[in-house]
Amino acid sequence: MTNINAALEIGTSRTVLAVGEGKPGERLKVTCHAEIPSTKIRKGQILDMKQATRSVQSVLRETEKHKDESGDSFAICNAFLVVSGQHVKADPFQGVAIVGGGKVSAADIDEAVRSAHSMPMPPERELLDVVEQAYTLDSLGGISSPKGMSGRTLKLDTLQIHADANRINDARTAAEGAHLELRDPLFAAVCAADATLDDRERRDGALVLDLGGGSTGYAAYCDGYLVAAGVIGVGGDHVSSDIAYAFQTTHAQAENLKTHEASAIVGLDREASERVSVPGFSPLMEAKTVSRRALDTVVNLRLKELLSIIRETMEARDLLHRMHAGVALTGGGAAMRGLDELAQRELGLPVRIGKPSNVDGLDDVANPASYAAVAGALLYAHSNYERKPLFGSLFKGLFR
Amino acid sequence: MNRKSPLLLVGVGGAGAAMARGVRRAFGEPLRIVLADTDAATGRDDAPFVLLGGDRLSGRGSGGDTVQARLAAEDSAKSFDEHLEGVRLAVVVTAMGGGTGSGATYEMVRHFADAGVPSMVFATLPFSFEGEDRQRRAAGMKSMIEDVAGAAFFPPLDQLVGGCDGMEEAMRRATDTLASGVTLFWRMLEKPGYIRLDAERVRAIVASAGKARFACATASGEGRAAEVADAIARSPLLAHGSGPVRSILCGVLSGDDLRLSEISRIADGVRDAFGHAAKFELSTVNDEATFSGRLSVVTMLFESGDGVEEPAHGEATAGARPRRTRRAVNPLASGQPERGRFTNVQPTVWKGEDLDIPTFVRRSITLDI
Repeated sequence: MTNINAALEIGTSRTVLAVGEGKPGERLKVTCHAEIPSTKIRKGQILDMKQATRSVQSVLRETEKHKDESGDSFAICNAFLVVSGQHVKADPFQGVAIVGGGKVSAADIDEAVRSAHSMPMPPERELLDVVEQAYTLDSLGGISSPKGMSGRTLKLDTLQIHADANRINDARTAAEGAHLELRDPLFAAVCAADATLDDRERRDGALVLDLGGGSTGYAAYCDGYLVAAGVIGVGGDHVSSDIAYAFQTTHAQAENLKTHEASAIVGLDREASERVSVPGFSPLMEAKTVSRRALDTVVNLRLKELLSIIRETMEARDLLHRMHAGVALTGGGAAMRGLDELAQRELGLPVRIGKPSNVDGLDDVANPASYAAVAGALLYAHSNYERKPLFGSLFKGLFR
Repeated sequence: MNRKSPLLLVGVGGAGAAMARGVRRAFGEPLRIVLADTDAATGRDDAPFVLLGGDRLSGRGSGGDTVQARLAAEDSAKSFDEHLEGVRLAVVVTAMGGGTGSGATYEMVRHFADAGVPSMVFATLPFSFEGEDRQRRAAGMKSMIEDVAGAAFFPPLDQLVGGCDGMEEAMRRATDTLASGVTLFWRMLEKPGYIRLDAERVRAIVASAGKARFACATASGEGRAAEVADAIARSPLLAHGSGPVRSILCGVLSGDDLRLSEISRIADGVRDAFGHAAKFELSTVNDEATFSGRLSVVTMLFESGDGVEEPAHGEATAGARPRRTRRAVNPLASGQPERGRFTNVQPTVWKGEDLDIPTFVRRSITLDI
């Protein structure tokens, strides 16, 4: 039986919905997707609930225009929520079990896992994920399968990913207004890593930077485990905002300059001495030109600063030198001209654009890296809910 | 290279490197030196060299672009850390008006200050005929350098050439004048005589000395003390300050024949010329090999800092002690720093900085739009 799942991301720049289909054990295919620009969302925070609901309704409508693989129309009743924003945090927590019979049994492992999932969480925080890492038996660490090993105390290291409950509830409210039920909230950077990294990269050490509109999420892997994750509250919106301030333009014009003219490296592939035309934002205003060098400089300063924060964050955890497989850039910001080269310089690691290679169906997308997070959420749903189809192929309106 | 010296000589840009080499040559003995430029060709000799922004500019120079030079210096800031080991005072020589001298100097001096090393900056200002663009560029960076440097000297090239008309000779004289002034200062600290002023005391004076002026003069024969005192008092380099003189540093350098009456004549002449309210620090150097028969005086006037002596009861002060603070916002921006569309959302703060404010504003980078 084919599983069908949907994933929704209410981002600062855009609202995205994608549907994935696949049989258990087979590769997942994204069968339809849609995105519309978000309005009144700043750094992932919804500032206008009505607008947010309208955005979800619009993206639902766009997605439902597609037909499923059998040619039927369908209605999307629920979706997994992709969460980003600087309110998302990841903290280490250790589960502990006393080994009963001198050798680790399945019950001891269950107890360590249960203990690891019992981190107290304040009411204003919502747990997104408990990512299990390696076991430690007495003083021996880095154990992946401790069953049958001799020792007295078994510990399981985990990374507890949690977020501001109010922000997630806001997303739920916006979706419910559009008659869409939200299922598990999932952290965007980890989802993006699921969609882009292969097992070898996770073992060798890889860092995923998910560059969103309002924030940049990161997920670092070593020895096959997620070892660090978090969010820096700076994203593509900051780049646009800097451009708008520097050149006294509207945010829309700044977005346009960022997307079509600017480079993360000053003068990359184009003459820095050129001037870039900025159309007037009303018929009464004349077009003007700005210096490409100045434009690139504004962008370079912002992105270089962001990358230096990432570098310091990784260095503080002694992780940067362990990222042997390099860095994958995902999210809408990954398409920024010259960003991969700048990241390579600033982080001293090989950098690639993180296309969601673990799913099919996104070949026609202009910037596949921007779909990495929703693709990863669909993969999560595909792997974890294969016996529980979340919706069937239904005639439109049946469940509305 | 004298690795133990608490003084580091830094030459920034092509002209700054030439001046630093001139100081090294005139000093005649090893001194701690590092040259820095965006142009790889500057690092041609055996002096330690830092290529600024190698990845960014590929060693081809900044092309007169101050912003690029600043970014290049910022890229390479950490490269200076090994040169700063044990350094208590950096003496930076450069020329304003071009890209690297103007732009990189600010970032480097800022980095030195962050590393706890105050800087004395000696930077020539462009000739008046060099055009408005270079003058404006120099003036913009001058005020920023003054914000981050312990003490900053900006002698205009017009005054340094001293009436020379031949282009080559004028440039050589300007460079030599500045280099000889710095050399005298260096000698004063490295080879103190009976009245000594060590680097630590100078560091304390310089750490918050602010805007500064300097001049030097040399004479020989009978009446040499009166001659140098008059030359210092009349020097155009010391004539125009933006505020009252708060402290004076005076170095008298001579051979073994230096007399107490000569020191007294020079000290009186300098204090008479620049005010008795200012704190006065004197140092002598007795170096027969270098100054046999000659007498040189280097004088520095500082306009702020802790050097000023408290006035006597009831005596009027020349003005409140100026407070010098590092500029935190774009000089173009007025009022509060711009948070723009992030005004009503939770700020992103990193190491005390509000990252919602544009990076170029926080770094005080003036864009040539």
